[in-house]
Amino acid sequence: MYLVADIDVDICAATSCKLCTQYCPEANTINYDDNAGKDKGHKYGSAYVAVDRCKGCAQCVWVCDNMAKHHAIKMTMIDQLPKAAITDRITYLDKGTKAIAAPVEVA
Amino acid sequence: MSLDYVKFSPGFDKFMPKEYRDMVEHGPFGKKTTVSQMGSFKEILEEHPMCAGCAMTLFIRLAMISFPNPEDTITVGTAGCGRLAISQAAVPFVYGNYGDQNAVASGLSRGLKLRFGDKPKDVVVMAGDGGMADIGFSMTLHSWFRKERFTTIMLDNEVYGNTGGQESGMTNKGQVLKMAPLGKKFEKMDMIGMAKLAGCAYVATVVPNNPRRVESVIKKAVLIAREIGPTYIQAYTSCNIEYSIPTDKVMEDAKSVETDRYAFSEHITDEAKEYLATRYGFKEYLPKPATAAALPKA
Repeated sequence: MYLVADIDVDICAATSCKLCTQYCPEANTINYDDNAGKDKGHKYGSAYVAVDRCKGCAQCVWVCDNMAKHHAIKMTMIDQLPKAAITDRITYLDKGTKAIAAPVEVA
Repeated sequence: MSLDYVKFSPGFDKFMPKEYRDMVEHGPFGKKTTVSQMGSFKEILEEHPMCAGCAMTLFIRLAMISFPNPEDTITVGTAGCGRLAISQAAVPFVYGNYGDQNAVASGLSRGLKLRFGDKPKDVVVMAGDGGMADIGFSMTLHSWFRKERFTTIMLDNEVYGNTGGQESGMTNKGQVLKMAPLGKKFEKMDMIGMAKLAGCAYVATVVPNNPRRVESVIKKAVLIAREIGPTYIQAYTSCNIEYSIPTDKVMEDAKSVETDRYAFSEHITDEAKEYLATRYGFKEYLPKPATAAALPKA
């Protein structure tokens, strides 16, 4: 088992700073969904992690804790995540992206 | 070398991998993309085999997003960590033999000028400190003295990271490394000073803990290199393996190094300032309106 980043939608959608999307060293790993928070009644959308691309470096955790001071990202064991997004289930829209979060099969 | 080179042959799109289809349909080609839109479009950089949490990867990712015309850009690299990621992108990549990258780019940019004339085609060299300051030193300096029009970006991790931690010309004095156990005996090379001396039109140092600054520096450097002359960017991209930085502390290290010895600096010639202001409307270089005369004291 290994660690991946997990973003709390309720905290992220309340602030929407988008810093983690700019500081992740992997391309298209932390993506942004404009409607994720609005469906739950928040003001903004939320960032989410494509777990198949995450290498678990935890730079986003440092950025969220120390630069943005929102504490929305935690490192979690991949088999502890009830639902997660992966690259195959991400659709790119005209503005933002949309991912279907589903249980991830771990060998 | 146009928008068409990424597109599918008719009828083949359904056989292509999802990443490729996303690239053609939602990539940055022909659009203006900025750092603030990251995460909402398909990037030209793909998955790559570089270490987790590498600051060099972050810089390369930001640089790829900042290219003014990615569809008209060719990257040139050489042996070292950087080429592992630079070659995994949807822009053509030319691999120079170790140290040859600036000589290859010289020929390439001249050839593109002959073939395409005034149509802008950008050549961007991205290589490490070993390839640029040690082994390719003569070719780097000669390309600047010849006023070759392309951008040179040094990914300065202050060590030979790929081969186990030998000291390079850009390592700081006294630094102890795995393959330099007695510490380096000489000072760090002043490449910024040499670039200014050789007549580069734009010289900058940058640390990737400020994505917007990286974006503006790369945009300016690539645009100036189209018509004015050589440009040089030196970026601090720490090696978290050889310098034993925990991956989640990489940005903290970048911040402390920026305040310690890698402060942001920018050198731009007057000709380049005028070019950016008149051709691309950079507001900070437009001539300032004459200041109003001071009010007489009552």
